[in-house]
Amino acid sequence: MKTVTIDPITRLEGHGRIEIFLDDAGNVANVYFQVPELRGFEQFCKGRPVEDMPVITNRICGVCPEAHHMAATKALDDLFQVEPPPAAKKVRELFYMSFYVTDHATHFYVLGGPDFIVGPDAPPAERNILGVIGKVGLETGKQVIACRARNHEIIRQLGGRAIHPTAGVPGGWSRSITPELRGEIETVARQNVDFARFSLKAFADLVLANPAYRDLILSDVYLHRTYSMGTVDAANQLNFYDGLIRVVDPEGEETLKYPCREYTQHIAERVEPWTYLKFPYLKKVGWKGFVDGKESGVYMATPLSRLNASDRLATPLANEEFEKFYATFGSQRVKGRYQPVHHRLATHWARLIEMLYAAERMLELAQDPEITSPEVRRIPSGAINPAGGIGSVEAPRGTLTHHYEADSRGLVTRANLIVGTTNNYAPIVMSLKRAAEKMIHGGQVIEEGLLNRIEMGFRLYDPCFSCATHALPGQMPLTVNLRDARGELVRTLRRG
Amino acid sequence: MVIGLGNPVRADDSVGLAVIRELREQLTGTEGVELVELWAGGLRLVEAMVGFDRAVVVDAMCTGQVAPGTFRRLALGDLGATRTTTCSHDTSLPTALEMWKRMEAPVPEDLTIWGIEIQDTETFSEGLSNPVARAVPRVAAAILAELHGSRGA
Repeated sequence: MKTVTIDPITRLEGHGRIEIFLDDAGNVANVYFQVPELRGFEQFCKGRPVEDMPVITNRICGVCPEAHHMAATKALDDLFQVEPPPAAKKVRELFYMSFYVTDHATHFYVLGGPDFIVGPDAPPAERNILGVIGKVGLETGKQVIACRARNHEIIRQLGGRAIHPTAGVPGGWSRSITPELRGEIETVARQNVDFARFSLKAFADLVLANPAYRDLILSDVYLHRTYSMGTVDAANQLNFYDGLIRVVDPEGEETLKYPCREYTQHIAERVEPWTYLKFPYLKKVGWKGFVDGKESGVYMATPLSRLNASDRLATPLANEEFEKFYATFGSQRVKGRYQPVHHRLATHWARLIEMLYAAERMLELAQDPEITSPEVRRIPSGAINPAGGIGSVEAPRGTLTHHYEADSRGLVTRANLIVGTTNNYAPIVMSLKRAAEKMIHGGQVIEEGLLNRIEMGFRLYDPCFSCATHALPGQMPLTVNLRDARGELVRTLRRG
Repeated sequence: MVIGLGNPVRADDSVGLAVIRELREQLTGTEGVELVELWAGGLRLVEAMVGFDRAVVVDAMCTGQVAPGTFRRLALGDLGATRTTTCSHDTSLPTALEMWKRMEAPVPEDLTIWGIEIQDTETFSEGLSNPVARAVPRVAAAILAELHGSRGA
């Protein structure tokens, strides 16, 4: 048999690349994180029937298709000017909560957790789900598998397909919930609540109770005082499915609150000559570069920022954890909100609190008497909003906005998406720079340490730049180029 | 079970799915073989193959060292995977398989992977580039030959 060597360096065009420039003294001068361009999305969409968008855009990514499907479906409600019946909104939200539980659980146990449960300095070969199972036991591994399986089954039954859902239609949802299915969903939701509580307890016992990890989270590693974005309901409580987009400043003062339809009034995109991906920022504050603080329009849209932008959480157990979270950081309530937490590693903790909220919300919806109503669709009149249709949801990785325009025949003329990760592009670059600055002094580099730190700075955002690009070997290679003050390549660090 | 991996709207990345469609035409009605189109690797991939004795995975590969359309039969160890968690959203195939094995879940003992060299994954398109499209029937034939060989034996 022939052996093929698969060298990640050859795949760089398809993935991100980090360039670190040193000054004359050998310290970090600048860090660039380049993201490849995905060509032709709008061209691909143009001329297609706009009602196909929920099943086309959900193929952008095999990991969070539910989020794209939901944002696209909501954009169609707006485009066709149709308000879904209350039961349809509840079914959509229920479906979406099941997705959130499985997505957040997977991130914690498989991606983010190994840094804390196995240890940030453990050899990379041990910092994975196998290392986690080794530490916490096989039973937990079985629970992770069971959590994914039961929620995937609910997603399949509600969404019409296991990975790329099809049930979202303008004006509602294409299937209603039978009493039998409702019973199954309630059982799953209860198991989800238990598992989320178990996960938060594991986080408390293994991470917060360990002084080394606790210090790591509370330290200024990856501390950036930026604006925080999240979607809230009428009572300023976090909501993943619907509400107003709220932005709070680094001190927690509300800066903006707007319906997603107004996103272009509030969000602008900065173009830098060294990367294809644009950097969104708050128009009102302006672009001041890759810096934090109140004067810089950089914002984050993550589990951490969503908690920061909320006054409280709408479900009781998650709200208890929310209180505990801010108490740990010594935050005080000012004008109804806690002072924001800016320690980016706390995002992992925030994600688990969100998982508990999603599980509790799923249970509430499963017990709602209206959830089995057959009234899950309002047929649109066919009139098309000439101003286009805009829909947004909170995707696990940040606020996700879909925006379509269509001609009188209903064919797409324009399509624009701001995906969750894009919001966080500037903060990610800042976190990478922080990691490099901490690890490189006078040109001395701790090689393995730098890669670990960069990965940790990266992973907390769970970035989705490689959405869809999963050609063999199916891993995101990490390549870091170190360049001197003249731009000459001095070293390449690589993992893949 | 034969699993084709790929993204249906990312040009050559969808070659694994195209092979499954090709096989579907030739294997319809054949008992004991299941054909699956899958859009995500890692945990999803292993979840799809739990309970099967034998799995064949078809995916795009991007080595840059061979001409587009070149295909190779690989074993798990050839992936060069390093068992790190650097995979974008969950984990690598070998790590995921190992996880299920530790749970004593029935994962296939016999796993082969067909990699097809591709050239374009950065354009949104449902079509394949010519050299990659030409490889589709050849890969399908190679997989069929192996399946028939083992069934006859």
